[in-house]
Amino acid sequence: MTVFKTFLKVLNKCKVPILLYSVMLILFSAFNMQTSETNMNFIASKPDVLIINEDEEEGITKNLIEYIKQNSNTKEVEQTEEAIKDALFYREVNYIIYIPQDYRKEFLEGKNPEIKIESTGDYQASLAEMMLERYIKVANTYQKNYDSEEVLLNKINDTLSKQSKVEITSKLDTENIEKATFYYNFANYSILAGCVYVICLILSSFKEQKVAKRTLISSTNYKKYNRMLLLSNLLFACCLWIFYAILSFILIGKVMFTLHGLIYIVNSFIFTICAVTIAFLIGNLVNNKNAINGIVNVIALGSCFLCGAFVPMEMLPDSVLKIAHVLPSYYYISNNELIKGLEVINFETLKPILTNMAIIIVFSILFILITNIISKRKRKIG
Amino acid sequence: MFIHNFKYAFKTLSRNRILIFWTFAFPIILGTFFKMAFSNIENSEKLEIINIAIIENQDFKENEIFKEAFKTLSDENNEDRLFNTKYTTEEEAKKLLEEDEIDGFIILKEDEPKVVFKESGINQTILKYVTEEIIGTSNIVGNLAEDEIKKEIMSGNYNIDYEKIYKNLVDLAENQDTKINNISSNNLSYTMIEFYTLIAMACLYGGILGMVAINQNLANMSNNGKRVSVAPIPKVKVILSSVLASYITQLICLLLLFLFTIFILKVDFGNNLPLIILLAISGSFAGLSMGLAIGTIFKTNENIKTGIVVSVTMLGCFLSGMMGITMKYIVDKNLPIINKINPASMITDGFYSLYYYDTLDRYFFNIVSLIVFAVIMIGISFYSIRRQKYDSI
Repeated sequence: MTVFKTFLKVLNKCKVPILLYSVMLILFSAFNMQTSETNMNFIASKPDVLIINEDEEEGITKNLIEYIKQNSNTKEVEQTEEAIKDALFYREVNYIIYIPQDYRKEFLEGKNPEIKIESTGDYQASLAEMMLERYIKVANTYQKNYDSEEVLLNKINDTLSKQSKVEITSKLDTENIEKATFYYNFANYSILAGCVYVICLILSSFKEQKVAKRTLISSTNYKKYNRMLLLSNLLFACCLWIFYAILSFILIGKVMFTLHGLIYIVNSFIFTICAVTIAFLIGNLVNNKNAINGIVNVIALGSCFLCGAFVPMEMLPDSVLKIAHVLPSYYYISNNELIKGLEVINFETLKPILTNMAIIIVFSILFILITNIISKRKRKIG
Repeated sequence: MFIHNFKYAFKTLSRNRILIFWTFAFPIILGTFFKMAFSNIENSEKLEIINIAIIENQDFKENEIFKEAFKTLSDENNEDRLFNTKYTTEEEAKKLLEEDEIDGFIILKEDEPKVVFKESGINQTILKYVTEEIIGTSNIVGNLAEDEIKKEIMSGNYNIDYEKIYKNLVDLAENQDTKINNISSNNLSYTMIEFYTLIAMACLYGGILGMVAINQNLANMSNNGKRVSVAPIPKVKVILSSVLASYITQLICLLLLFLFTIFILKVDFGNNLPLIILLAISGSFAGLSMGLAIGTIFKTNENIKTGIVVSVTMLGCFLSGMMGITMKYIVDKNLPIINKINPASMITDGFYSLYYYDTLDRYFFNIVSLIVFAVIMIGISFYSIRRQKYDSI
């Protein structure tokens, strides 16, 4: 009990960083969860467009603006050069359309006036450009054949209103599952950083020379002492895991009550165990309390950046992903991504997930073995 | 005396491994992670060729406009190629869709296309959009052909070449010149902001060096400080030399970080080298002065002071976009005052304006803000350490 009490005392000292890691998890998850409608119909992607109209909003100019507005999210930005430039750089808008003065007049005269644009060059901008090009093409074609602006606009709108039928085959609630994936991917950081920080600090407190010497000469059996220490650390890790699991139910909701949710939770449990073994390894390697903070940051941030906890895996370069194969986080995050795409749950589809889980467990065993070898050597020297 | 103290302050600082880790190694490690994680983001946001399938039924074979359009859009030699198209049967297409080999497929029935997707998304939207564009073209041709034929009949010509009219109209509809002029800047890479916040972080972490250096001279902070304060030398000499030593250590670390980010991580800081150096010097000066102020105002132990410097720095970097670039924009747009007093944001914004803006107004505004910030901080620390006397410690 003495060991456990001391454990709790040290733990009490670490509450600020633990709180910080949890707050970050909540903040980032909440940040990414603004839209929560479930929808099984096709939703067209809409680029963010800014229209700067220097012409009067009438006739063809008005019609063009209305068409763009219908098919994109038009944004309102303060009309200063600085605000417009910033909006484009920070991707508040993907595409800026400058409609020049006298656009309507020149267009009706058949001069095909030039339109200036600014573009971020990403796919949203490409879509916006397709829209603009389509409108101009249609408008130009009709302009050569009709003189009356009214007829012209009717014809343009008629052509542009043609829609094709859409059918969606997947029955997965993709949006909510994506949120769960995001949450559990980010939890990689919170779990790893939390476990490594706390366990390292506790181990180093117990290993402080004066404390260690007193423990050695005490009547407590060293096996019991080690067991208590291990159990208290595991208890802490489990509490942390349960806390994050409950948090996911609150933040994500419905999806967590399905079978998918269960697999997410099991996956995170296995990873928590692995995090504890990593923490034990580092705790045995490092004796300097001041160094712990640095090590936690490098290890937790490193495995999160390299394995796709912060930046989605599909956006990482292949070379980085190859390096990431040596880290257990990679398999944990791969599993989250696999669960996201899981449509039917049976043994066949679960196979890759189970393989990844097995790999994480193998990693854990490996870490325990290395820890044992190191601590054995250290005892000999001491 | 000045040089003597300077030498020893410099030695103690550069031998403090934990300090050097935070001010020098940590930014480099974090920068490497940033590079690895972010190098592909912007490329993966570019439009890639979309894999699709078309059901090759009788309707499709007879529809010239569709056939031609997809042939051009899937042509490997076409610069504006959008699709990689497979022509297959419906069963095959469904299987491909299920296996995520394609993003969607098209079935044409009585000239009405239906697109089938697994889920909504940008590629799907583009495919849908293209099919609508093609229906649009048929619609134009239909509309205009009707008028054209009427005209011919009105003018008494009953010998109409339908084929020719039709062909001319398709050409007309498809070959319209659109005059769109792209005037956007080339420097639009937003991940650069991450590296700028990294420099800002390194500048402000330098404050720890200043704080540690001044702690060596404060009688209530260290034994060394007690000895210094009873020594018969002007305090200003001792303090100035320690501060100078920490500033130089900081600048050396910063120089190495710059070399690393420019030559190994290939970060683009713009082309104006003297201005980049000026910003780095003023930025680290602001960091140093912040460290001094925190070191002198708070009367606690060194660890807590370090904690304060680290938390202030991290909060500042968070607000200037280190953990998500949008954060900086949100703050700039809604609560600009916060980033006007946040040194991390001044440094980040300074680099940003050098990289992205053609004019230098915004850059110099940031430089002036940094200097004002530093002067205020130094004023505060000066005020709190002058004329200190202790009856007992």
